Amino acid sequence: MAPAAPKSGDVIFASVDRVNAELFTLTYGAIVRQLITDLEEVEEVNKQLDQMGYNIGVRLVDEFLAKSSVSRCVDFRETADVIAKVGFKMFLGVTASVTNWDADGTTCSLILEDNPLVDFVELPDTCQGLHYCNILSGVVRGALEMVSMKTEVTWLRDMLRGDDVFELQVKLLKQVPEEYPYKDDE
Amino acid sequence: MVREVSESCVESLLAEIVLSYCSGFYANKPELAARRIEAIGFQVGHQLSERYTMDRPRFTDNLEAIKFICKDFWSELFKKQIDNLKTNHRGTFVLQDNRFRWLAHMSIDPSVQASGNIQDPSAMAENKSAQATGMHLYFPCGIIRGALSNLGIECAVSADISNLPACSFVIRIKA
Amino acid sequence: MIVCVAVVGHQNNPLYIQSFTKADDSLKLHHIVHCSLDVVDERVNNPKKSGLIINETFLGLLNPTENYKVYGYLTNTKVKFILVTTDLEVRDADARVFFGRFHTAYVNAVSNPFHIPGKKITSRKFAERVSTIVKSFGLSSSS
Repeated sequence: MAPAAPKSGDVIFASVDRVNAELFTLTYGAIVRQLITDLEEVEEVNKQLDQMGYNIGVRLVDEFLAKSSVSRCVDFRETADVIAKVGFKMFLGVTASVTNWDADGTTCSLILEDNPLVDFVELPDTCQGLHYCNILSGVVRGALEMVSMKTEVTWLRDMLRGDDVFELQVKLLKQVPEEYPYKDDE
Repeated sequence: MVREVSESCVESLLAEIVLSYCSGFYANKPELAARRIEAIGFQVGHQLSERYTMDRPRFTDNLEAIKFICKDFWSELFKKQIDNLKTNHRGTFVLQDNRFRWLAHMSIDPSVQASGNIQDPSAMAENKSAQATGMHLYFPCGIIRGALSNLGIECAVSADISNLPACSFVIRIKA
Repeated sequence: MIVCVAVVGHQNNPLYIQSFTKADDSLKLHHIVHCSLDVVDERVNNPKKSGLIINETFLGLLNPTENYKVYGYLTNTKVKFILVTTDLEVRDADARVFFGRFHTAYVNAVSNPFHIPGKKITSRKFAERVSTIVKSFGLSSSS
């Protein structure tokens, strides 16, 4: 049987259970503020947000594959495209674009012009080292790891720090081939 | 148009709050974890009540504010109203949601149903998953307390899940 | 012309106050705002006497002085907004439109996760929005 054709991000987003984005935005903001109070060091908060995102990415990848009918992407280039066009749209209702590919196709940037996480947010001067959206980089890293791609994800541009867009650089470190229980020659 | 995100986003955050505070920083101090989770909810409720009361006249009494929580506020969050509101007319209100969404996707440990009330998390400390379910409820309790506090009503809020999948929120207004 | 706007907390603590005059009369304007708070309390406690629609957020004209007209607004969360203008003829509709926009700007400012309830509003975005709203006062519903 031929695999079902992948659905577009818009179609999937229209079909999933959705909630008022304000609840999501304000909840995330309250988490960040509480973490700053409890962990004190901004660097620790960045780490914690990344870890939370990683856990979410690991969990959400199944929902993503099931609802999108995307068969596992073999190619990193194709995978990046699917994350940007389908993944972001399906969960956050916004689409990212993929740019800045390097020559060997292992590093690219996801660009977000609109990001529901930061509605209403203004960073205070005491939090300048904070990567407010670090949960997103964790989600991308966690989800990719579940499809056997080990990556390093870094923020290059951040609208909360005055940049015109959010730019998330994704660098493929290692692609682990899927393991099968038996070797071919046996 | 109202901006929306997938419900999974909110549920994922909720799960991570509980995981971070209960298994991470405060693994052996459930009271502290509970207080932090409640505080996160409080901030959210405080901000949401500011937003959701914007286009309406001021409330004349506590009952009117509680009814607002049951109807408009709950509908904004869960696309349904509270199913049943009871009061003893002495400052205690019980709001029952017959199928509370934030518990709907969780596998509930039967031992939680036995212990029911989450007011005493330390009593459940021996059972991690029971504790986690209880911990999930500090967030909505905080939301309700924060929302009412911003409307000038100081209260204590607890949750009762002895009747799953129904969940009751008990509001005790401070005299 | 609007010469001053203010946000005042439920314990009459100033959360934001901005004057828009070239002259150095901010002290006088602050005093006018301060005096109007008592009028707000009186209005709210005796709605019948002041002929208000019960519990409407818009409180109308508070106290006309010789040179200024002062309007008030009270949110459900007991936060007061005060508007001071030098216009002799102000239409209620214009004041309502102003407060509606101002309220939205206020709610967005306090939705910033780093804003602490009861503390002064320091947001630059809020200041910019307020200045835009002040400039457009009376333009939308006139003519």
